Amino acid sequence: MAMKRRATILAALSAAATILILLWKPSVINNGIQQAGLYAAIAIPMGLVLGIVHIVNLAHGEFMMVAAYATYFACRATGMDPLLAVLPSAAVTAAFGWVVFKLTIKRALKAPELNQLILTFGIAIALTQAVNILFTSQTFKLQLDYVSASIDIGEDTFPVWSYVFVAFAILYAAGLKLFLTRTTIGKAALAVGQNPKGAAIVGIDVNRVYGLVFALALALVGAMGALFLTKQSIFPSVGSPYTMKSFCLVAVAGIGNIPGILGASLLLGISEQVLRGFRDTRAWADIVFFVLIIAVILGRSIKWRKS
Amino acid sequence: MNRNLARVVATLLGALAVVLPALAGAYPLQVARNVMLYMALAITWDMLLRSGQISFGIAGLFGLGAYASILGVIRAGMPAWASIPFAAAFSALAALLIGYLILRLRGMYFSIVTLALAEIFRIVIHNLHDFTGGPEGIVAPAGVIFGGSASGLYWLALVGLAVALGASIWFEKSKFHFALTAIRDNEIAASSSGVDIFRWLLATFVITSGIQGLLGGIFVQSYGFATPDSVFSADFTLLPLAMALLGGIHGTVGPIMGAVLLGVASEWLKLQMPYGHLVVYGIIIIIVILFMPRGLYGLARKMARPAEGRAE
Repeated sequence: MAMKRRATILAALSAAATILILLWKPSVINNGIQQAGLYAAIAIPMGLVLGIVHIVNLAHGEFMMVAAYATYFACRATGMDPLLAVLPSAAVTAAFGWVVFKLTIKRALKAPELNQLILTFGIAIALTQAVNILFTSQTFKLQLDYVSASIDIGEDTFPVWSYVFVAFAILYAAGLKLFLTRTTIGKAALAVGQNPKGAAIVGIDVNRVYGLVFALALALVGAMGALFLTKQSIFPSVGSPYTMKSFCLVAVAGIGNIPGILGASLLLGISEQVLRGFRDTRAWADIVFFVLIIAVILGRSIKWRKS
Repeated sequence: MNRNLARVVATLLGALAVVLPALAGAYPLQVARNVMLYMALAITWDMLLRSGQISFGIAGLFGLGAYASILGVIRAGMPAWASIPFAAAFSALAALLIGYLILRLRGMYFSIVTLALAEIFRIVIHNLHDFTGGPEGIVAPAGVIFGGSASGLYWLALVGLAVALGASIWFEKSKFHFALTAIRDNEIAASSSGVDIFRWLLATFVITSGIQGLLGGIFVQSYGFATPDSVFSADFTLLPLAMALLGGIHGTVGPIMGAVLLGVASEWLKLQMPYGHLVVYGIIIIIVILFMPRGLYGLARKMARPAEGRAE
């Protein structure tokens, strides 16, 4: 009951804040929602891996970076549009991720949690630096006309291309919900996530489920890599802030709460855009996620002490 | 037998460290300084690891100390030598505040928040450009400490290493050893035996971060300038981590071994691969975690043990 009341108050407060910002600077809301879509679509696969395989993949953003590089060179060689590369990129990244999983992470599944952290940190460094050796730290960008699409409302111009990220984020969240509750493999994955030992006892091949879920998450990341390339320029360390921000969002939402990631992303995306709206505070937008994660840790520790 | 051997090796290494400035030229001394710096960082990283907490924030606290030192000289008019302990105190204070907040949820949360520290401090330094010099960095008008004398800088780096070594040995001999090992092995058992986990971890985090800040101060005073990209460089997180892991964790000897091996190798690698030489450390980290989680020292001890058994 108290939970429900608090949730209602929170929803009312955020709705009021949104309306106020909308009246004051509509573009902040527009950009914030699009930014939130990008964050959410990248964070959801991390939430999936953390919820079911119980691994924090510190190479998460780096896998997206690799997918974006692969897409960039494929597009430049063939003149293909990166939108056509979304599915191939997903397939290739999934295969790559599955191989990396089999070779490294699978061997560390039984190791202490912190060994896994160091391991994926090592993978992140190896990926970033390998790209750095191959392509130097030069930035690459595709010139595409459609990404500057915009809508004029009154005197203001609103860019709209990045709503494609929002669409993907919603698609990911809804798709995963269906996958985990309606399909046999999805149900098995959910069971493994809740209790690996129990799942093994009832005859689920736990290691196969881990491999599949990791590959699925990387397919989602790979698709985002291709999509990311349409709008952003890429360089070797482009992925690492997304690893951090994805973890922040997953932690804010709570592990295993995929729809919650959408809400957390909205909070992060809009707060960043509010700061970017002022000249004086623009440069501080990148530390919002840090403040957010500290606030969450404090909130959790207070809740734990009460109970 | 084994202990005597260790003592002989330690004495020899110590003697070598003391006579080196008389024997070697400027370039070997510079290499030795780098090796000592990374060795000290590797030891401090390992000291916190003994409690089971992984910090990815070495570069953050190191860089913070570097900026505290150089800004102390420029903005507060401190003498260069005094700015180095000030850097240690500043990083320790920052670690106290951050640790007080984030050590409540340990394990994964602590590690990942520390991963962000270098980036966060760098953004802060960038944004306070009137005070810190911003992205372009800042130059100490008085130049390098000791007028840049190669042996003076060497002794300074040796002092930094001695502080880290001393702290690490003190940790091994004092109550810290029992408290941290108990926390690492089983937090519930530790707290029910009366170990105040939060306080021990906070103390360890503050002490190791203070030493990292001290090393940052020594580093920046040895070059006379700081830029956000140079002092918050990922090298300062990655190399110590790879060194300690390769040498062997949870003790003073392992990080020393790893630092000597990788430190010398890294000077050579930097010349061979100016871009992307860090890939080697990433791969070392992966291989060590997968195939020899106790590192080279652990491997050597494992190999030595059956032989000892026969001798008895």
